[in-house]
Amino acid sequence: MNIQRISAIFEKDIKDFMKNMMLLMMPLIPIVLALLYKQMSNGEEFPIYFLYLNVGIAYSSVTSTCMMTMMAEENEKKTLRGLIQSPASMVDILVGKSLVVGLITFVSLTVSLAIIGSDPLLNGKAILALILLFLFFLFLGIGIGLFSKSISATSAYTMPVMLLFGFTPILGSLQLDEDGIIMTITDTFPIMQAIELHEKSSWVPLGIIAGWVLAAALFMYICFKKTMTDD
Amino acid sequence: MTHFTINEEIMNSNDSLPPFTLLIEDGDTTAVYSDTEMQDELVKVLRNNGRFTVFDQQEGLYQRISVAANIAFFHKWFHCETPLPEILVLFELQNCAKKPLHKCTESEVRRIYYAKYFMSGVRPLIFHEPVHGADIRTINTFLHMLQKLKNSQIPVLILVSNMEHALLLGDIAYKLGGNGIQSLVVDEEDSSVEESTTPRAVTTTHFFKIPAKVDDKVILFDPLEIDYIESQDGKAMIMVNDSSYMLDSTLGEMEKKLEVYGFYRCHRSYIVNLQKVREIITWSKNAYSLRIDNNAQSTIPLSRTKIQDIQEKFSLK
Repeated sequence: MNIQRISAIFEKDIKDFMKNMMLLMMPLIPIVLALLYKQMSNGEEFPIYFLYLNVGIAYSSVTSTCMMTMMAEENEKKTLRGLIQSPASMVDILVGKSLVVGLITFVSLTVSLAIIGSDPLLNGKAILALILLFLFFLFLGIGIGLFSKSISATSAYTMPVMLLFGFTPILGSLQLDEDGIIMTITDTFPIMQAIELHEKSSWVPLGIIAGWVLAAALFMYICFKKTMTDD
Repeated sequence: MTHFTINEEIMNSNDSLPPFTLLIEDGDTTAVYSDTEMQDELVKVLRNNGRFTVFDQQEGLYQRISVAANIAFFHKWFHCETPLPEILVLFELQNCAKKPLHKCTESEVRRIYYAKYFMSGVRPLIFHEPVHGADIRTINTFLHMLQKLKNSQIPVLILVSNMEHALLLGDIAYKLGGNGIQSLVVDEEDSSVEESTTPRAVTTTHFFKIPAKVDDKVILFDPLEIDYIESQDGKAMIMVNDSSYMLDSTLGEMEKKLEVYGFYRCHRSYIVNLQKVREIITWSKNAYSLRIDNNAQSTIPLSRTKIQDIQEKFSLK
């Protein structure tokens, strides 16, 4: 890792982000939704799963999507040709971009949570869960970004990530059979586990989320190896 | 420091390229002129077997951010020693530094590419068609850059498909053809030409046409139609309205015949029809070119030693 290169790509991508309307819209989604919910709730307290729905939306639409779009744009326009001489410089690029995405996500999430109330999330366990969730979505975004060749292809990849992992709490309101196979599977998804963390006092949900993070990291590693050997 | 060699090892039994060895000393700028097909093969070979980076301006730049932001990014990424403002001035980008890239002209974008390659720190530098279609100012910044690279003892290889560019950019210019690689500047003028006598030309001046053989026809050209004559493989090639025709005679013989019609030997490999000269271009490294008034606006090299002569002919002095 080379700090100078990371800061070079960080500065470049922050500037690029500010000029990119498509990416600038992304952090606004959770904030606008939070404002809407606030309007509809008439001042009542939000249930826990609602807070995590917002977290899921923020992570999937900001973290994963922005990362994928940024990587896909570099791939599509071949802007990285000539910059990457070794896998190490690729890592620099990924780290630099992750910092940008991390910063934007943090701003977007803080603002939206401040709107709908963040009190239940302000304890050690919940914050740890939030960090793990961030890593999960980040790794997922990097992995997909590495192999997606164009921005238009990215929108197709975004959908499953958003629907499956971002909007999981909504599935509970679909009136599906409580013990049905779909509910059993989706109950183990990272966001659902984070909700469960508040219902139980055990650390098991955190372990399961960590498992998801590892899986995403492995996925990212495989994609990374594949792109580095392709060139 | 190391030399940079292209040899059979790198070529690795490629059928489409003739076997050749090219040694580029440090601080030498070498230009290789060939047709596009052979050039593509050579680029492929250099990339795949030689693992060289070839700069062809095909990769993208960051369109949304400004010129200065682009340059600053590359500057930091490549860990370039030259200070950033100096780079901007060297490539004449100081006036458009604040402009986002998508609003820049083609020439400005091209100068950003030059700056990127200059800062990349890759040794040797291999350029593929660096000045094709560039304007005079841009070619001049490229020449400035070559001068700077030469001063830092960095070997440079330039691949072009235009002989004039090869002669202008390279200290040493080669032609890569089906039968190998040859140095472009051939001293064919002095020895053989002097012998040919003139009386024959005098008798034919009243009715004089240049015969060029195409397949089984002989086309007769009026000398005044001809834009310029180029030497290729020791044979004269006449250029008429963007098409070229091979002649049987050498450039030296043609010079003698055509002198009376206002033709002038402006370079070892070129004879120009002075009536068709539109501009005299002065390049930064004390080199000159003539721009011809034809559709292609072709430029042809003018030797340093001949500039005086030309200026007299056009009564510029």
